[in-house]
Amino acid sequence: MAEVEETFKRIQAHKGVIGVIVVNSEGIPIRSTLDNSTTVQYAGLISQLAAKARSTVRDIDPGNDLTFLRIRSKKHEIMVAPDKEYLLICIQSPHD
Amino acid sequence: MFADITLESVTFKSNWKKERSLASSGCQTSELVVEEVACQSVKYKSVKTQTEDDSDKFSGFADDNSGHLAEFLRRVEPAMHKQLEMNVKSHAFDDYEVTWDEGSSTMSSIHKLTNAAHDGQFQITGLSWNSTGAVIAASYGRFDHEDWCTHKTSLCTWNLERRNLDENKPDTVLEVSSCLMCTAFHPSNPALIAGGTYNGVVIVWDLSREDDMVLTSSGIGDDSHREPVSKVIWVPDTSSLKKNKYLLVSVSSDGKMLVWKMDRKTKQIELHDGFVLMNMNLPTQLRKSRTMRGDKEVGVTCISYNNENKDSFIIGSEPGAVFKCSMSANGEQPAGNIISSIQLKSPVTFTYAHHYGPVYSAEFSPFHRNAFLTSSMDQTLRLYSMLQKQPIMTLEPGEGVIYSTKWSFSRPALFAATTDTGLLLLYDLTQNQPVPVYKLEAGGLMGNNARAPVLTCQFNQHQNNLIATGDAMGCIQVFRISDSLKTPLSRDLEILGELVDITTES
Repeated sequence: MAEVEETFKRIQAHKGVIGVIVVNSEGIPIRSTLDNSTTVQYAGLISQLAAKARSTVRDIDPGNDLTFLRIRSKKHEIMVAPDKEYLLICIQSPHD
Repeated sequence: MFADITLESVTFKSNWKKERSLASSGCQTSELVVEEVACQSVKYKSVKTQTEDDSDKFSGFADDNSGHLAEFLRRVEPAMHKQLEMNVKSHAFDDYEVTWDEGSSTMSSIHKLTNAAHDGQFQITGLSWNSTGAVIAASYGRFDHEDWCTHKTSLCTWNLERRNLDENKPDTVLEVSSCLMCTAFHPSNPALIAGGTYNGVVIVWDLSREDDMVLTSSGIGDDSHREPVSKVIWVPDTSSLKKNKYLLVSVSSDGKMLVWKMDRKTKQIELHDGFVLMNMNLPTQLRKSRTMRGDKEVGVTCISYNNENKDSFIIGSEPGAVFKCSMSANGEQPAGNIISSIQLKSPVTFTYAHHYGPVYSAEFSPFHRNAFLTSSMDQTLRLYSMLQKQPIMTLEPGEGVIYSTKWSFSRPALFAATTDTGLLLLYDLTQNQPVPVYKLEAGGLMGNNARAPVLTCQFNQHQNNLIATGDAMGCIQVFRISDSLKTPLSRDLEILGELVDITTES
C-alpha cells in the first residue's frame, strides 16, 4: 500500500537512520529496509526484549503499560514503538 | 610178506609255540551329538542426511493482510519522528562513557626482564613485539663506542605468555659478534626478526629453526652499510600483487637507506633499491661548512612509513633535519664515491623545520595520515603535520634528551616519550595542557641515586594495555597502563584531526 511505503520512506529519510523494521506480534518481520539476515536478527531479539520490558512495567504497576523503548549503545540507538499487533523498530546513529 | 599196516599218528607238542587263547568281543563309539544352526549375511540399508540451507528456510517476510498496518504506522509515526529529531539535537550523552571491562585503573610494572648473562654492561638499543603480541625481543648494544666495536652481544626474546617465565633468563638468546643497534619483528610471521649491527650488517633470524637461526645476512660488502645501522623496519611491498609481502628497509649513519627484498626460494636478502641522504639536502643553517661537498653523505637516524600511503616516509637525520621522502623519488645522485650495485639517489621531497640536535625518533600516527612525532637530542618533542613546514606543537618536558617517542596503537591521542632522566612520559592530546598525564619511572636506579636513561619504548599492538621500555642498564620493564588510557574516546580522532589539519585562518 502506498501509505505504508510513504511512511517508511519518511522515517528512513530522517537524519542518521540506518534502518526501519515492522514486526508482527509473533516476532516475524513484515517490512524492512535492511537485509534479510540483519532483519531476522533484530526482529527476534528486539521483540523478546520489548515483551520483557512490557512485562516489567506492568509487574511494577499493573495500571501502567509500555509506550516506547529506547536502547542506546556505543554506536547506535534502537527505538521501539510497541503495539498490540505490531512493533516498529528504528535504528539510528545519532552522532553523524 | 608185505601187508598194510596203519600206524597211529604220533603227535608231539611244540616246545616253542604257545597255545593262543582267543576270545571275541565288540566295541562302538559313543553317539555323536549334532546341532543345526543357520546364519545369514548382513542386510544393508542406505540413509542420507543433509544440513538445511538456512536461507531457504527464510521464505520471506510474513504477509500481513489484516489491513491494520497502515493504521498502526499512522499512530506511531509522530512519536518516532519526535524521538529521532530529539536524538539528533541532544547533547545529553556527549561525555557519557561506560566501561564494561573490569580492567585496572592504575599503571603498574608487571615485568622486569634482564639478561643476567650480560651483567648490565650493555644497553637496550631496540625493542620489538612480535606479530602476535606475546613475545618481546630486545637488542643489546652500546651507543658510546669510541672506535671499532669488539663487543659480543645478543638478541634476546622473552615469551610473556609462558607460565614459567624467568625474568632474568631470556627464552631465546641469539649471539651476535658486534653490538646490535636495532631490531624489528616481521609484521605477520612471528618467527622472523631482523636486526642491524654496529658494523653495518643487517641480519634476519628465523626463530622456528632448530640450530642456526640466522636466516640471511647482508654481509659486509659494497652493497651494505659501512656505519652502524640505526633502524630496520619492515614495509609492505606495494609493488607485489600478493598480500603479505614485505620489504626490509635499513637506515644507517652512512646516509644510505637500503631496501632489501627477500628472495622466496633462496631466503636470502638482496638489495632491491637504495637512497642516500646528502649534504645538499640539508637546510642551509645545518650545513657544516660551505666548502664541504654537496654530495657528502649525512647520517640518517630514524625512519617511519606513513600508515596509509606506504610510498611516503619520513626520516630524521644526525644534524637535526627532518625530511619527507618518497620511495619512488628520483632525486640527485652522488658523484660517484659510493660504490653500489644499485644506483643510489636522494629520496627527499620536502624539508621540515629542523631540530637542533640529532633526531632520535620519528613516528607516523597509526590513525591520522598526516600527523607525525619527532624527538631529538635538543630535549624537545615535536608534532608535525605532513603538509606543513613548521611543527604544530613543540613539547619540552624538561627531562633531558628524549630518546624515543611512540604513538599508541589503540588511542589516537595518546603517545609516549622516554627521557634521559629515566622516565616514561605519557601524553594525551585531549587534555588542554601540554603536560604529560603520567610519568612512570622506567629506568633502573644507578649508583648515584639517579635513574638510568630510558632509551627505547614500544607499545604492544595486540594487547593494547602494555608498553615496554628498555633502559641503559639493560633492563626491560613492561607496564600495564590503566583502562582510561587504553580505550579510545570517541572524540580522540576528532581532536587529533583538529590539531593537525591546517586551518585556513592561520
